[in-house]
Amino acid sequence: MKILLVDDEKKFAMMLSKRLALRGIEVDYVFTAEEAMAKVESNKYDVAILDVKMPGIGGIELEPKLKALVPGMKTIFLTGHGSAADFTAGSAEAAYYLAKPLQIDELIEILHEVTQ
Amino acid sequence: MIGRFRQLLGSLRPEFYHRTSEHLNPYFTFTDYRKIWGVGIFLLAVTALLPLMVVTVIYYQLIQKSVDSELILRTERVASNARRAVTFFLEERLNALRFTVNEIDYGRLTNPDDFAELLRNLKLGFGGLTDLSVISHAGIQVAYAGPFHLEGKDYSKQAWFAECQNCNFYVSEIFRGYRDLPHIIIAVKSFRPDGTHFILRATLETERLIQTLSSYKTGEHADIFLASRSGIMQTPSKFYGDLFEKMALPVPDYSPRTQTVMAADGQGRPIITGYAFISTQIADTPFILMVTKQKAGMMGVWLELRSKINWLVGFSIMVIIIVIAITCTFMVNKLYLADKAKAEAMAVMEQNNQLASIGQLAAGVAHEINNPLALINETAGYVKDLFVIKEQYSKDDELLENIDYILEAVARCGTITRQLLGFSRKFDVKIQRVNLNEVISDVLVFHNKEAEYRNVNVFVDISKDIPEIETDRGKLQQVLLNLVSNAFQAVDNGCNLDITALPEGVNKVSITICDNGCGMPEENLSKIFEPFFTTKERGKGTGLGLTITYGLVKKLHGNISVKSRENEGTEFIITLPIHLQEEMRKDENSFGR
Repeated sequence: MKILLVDDEKKFAMMLSKRLALRGIEVDYVFTAEEAMAKVESNKYDVAILDVKMPGIGGIELEPKLKALVPGMKTIFLTGHGSAADFTAGSAEAAYYLAKPLQIDELIEILHEVTQ
Repeated sequence: MIGRFRQLLGSLRPEFYHRTSEHLNPYFTFTDYRKIWGVGIFLLAVTALLPLMVVTVIYYQLIQKSVDSELILRTERVASNARRAVTFFLEERLNALRFTVNEIDYGRLTNPDDFAELLRNLKLGFGGLTDLSVISHAGIQVAYAGPFHLEGKDYSKQAWFAECQNCNFYVSEIFRGYRDLPHIIIAVKSFRPDGTHFILRATLETERLIQTLSSYKTGEHADIFLASRSGIMQTPSKFYGDLFEKMALPVPDYSPRTQTVMAADGQGRPIITGYAFISTQIADTPFILMVTKQKAGMMGVWLELRSKINWLVGFSIMVIIIVIAITCTFMVNKLYLADKAKAEAMAVMEQNNQLASIGQLAAGVAHEINNPLALINETAGYVKDLFVIKEQYSKDDELLENIDYILEAVARCGTITRQLLGFSRKFDVKIQRVNLNEVISDVLVFHNKEAEYRNVNVFVDISKDIPEIETDRGKLQQVLLNLVSNAFQAVDNGCNLDITALPEGVNKVSITICDNGCGMPEENLSKIFEPFFTTKERGKGTGLGLTITYGLVKKLHGNISVKSRENEGTEFIITLPIHLQEEMRKDENSFGR
């Protein structure tokens, strides 16, 4: 399983990717939407983990662009804006939302779920 | 009995008098409604009653003046008429004597037969004469006609004789004299051809005079009499002394005309006195004519009328005051109720504003904290991963334990920030038809075990009249779960928890969650919906449960209120609309405008 992590919080992105790597998951991390789009052109990812709120293009805006480039890639959103349940309404359907701070086990579970 | 009366009085007192809403004081436009009420009654009463009283007083004074002047006029008229009559009485007789001495010579006058004839004729002509006598210039009575034998009597030493010699005419006071009968003497001086003079004297009966005076007496409160200039009663009076007694009134000052004065008599009764000093054209007399009228008696009719007017005015004043008091009470109470409603609305609005602004602040803070929190989480997680997955430090339990403390703390912070954000964010409501019975049962499932274990009696009473309601099931569940959890925390083992639901009007339902637990003091009641307010031990509660509940109820277009008494229990009442969709549409429309 190969994952692209997009989050403007650099240290957070780094730490999370280290933790995922420890669990045997291959992770590339970038800090902006532009970097992400550049990344998917040269790599194939199963899942993209996108931060909802980023300077410039945010996760929700980025998702359709990435999907256009890589059809079939799954998306998980990360949000610092409260619980995922609060956030589901009015946005892309069937997407997964996780609230920061994350529970790593929950994230792993969802990753397995989306890639099955 | 007194207690009951007080109770009745208390129930009659208007609402503003009880001052039951002290806690709303800062929102009231006016603070002292009792004062407003008092001042209102006073001002209205003064405005209404002052003109009435002033007009009444002016009216009384006018009437008094007019009655007084009427009395004075009438008294003066009587005195004037009586004066003329008395003057005429005396003048007529003096003129008769003057005529006699001018017409009849001294010789005939001293002839007893002629003199007796003269007396007879005078009696026939004028009446009221007792006797006639001729007195020589030496004061010796030389002729006498009458019932007594007074010939030869010597008057030379008497005062009247001297005065008559000086003034040519004389009118005496009324006196008893030798005859011991009240009488007046009048005398005229005349000269004989030889140059000597003599005096013709007549004695007048007083009855005629008294009769003349009596004919002017008017009414039981009036009196008319003659007094001498030295204040001796000359005719009997009803009120001021008998014949020859000292007059019980002061002797008036001399005046050539008829006068009227208002004064009090010896007994303090206000009287009007008309008086005239009697003086004929021929001679002055010692008489003062007195006419008195007692004001009280004469004004009886007016006083009676005044007493009736007083009663009427008094009654009117009472009615006016009662009407003013009732009107003022009603108006001030209405004002108070309107002000109270406004104050309540303001208090609620302020609480909402406070909650909203605190919510916004909290959300901002939470969001800012979330990112560093996420970093701490991942970093600590990574360290733990190193221990657990890489097994480098897996033997060091203490280190692992400490890492877990960090992660637990982060998880707790995460819960708080999520709750804060959930409270402030405007997320959509998913409307569905919900059966209240089911929702409440679902909620109670979470607490069944605890209820059994702690022997808490849970009573659920859902009215059969309640239809399915349109609402967000999840949010309603969360609301009820929060309140039921709170109730379970508040009650002791073996206590009761009642959940009832009733229709409220056509469009609303109310759900009441009532426990008989520890309750809370009044000062906490106004704060319980504020964020971070908690009475639980540090670390046990976030102080956001009821804030979120409040926010959720508001999102469901409902209301939540609380009543509580310390050590007696707490009651939360939630009212929710039955047709939420309709309510939201109305809201949108009103915002659209």
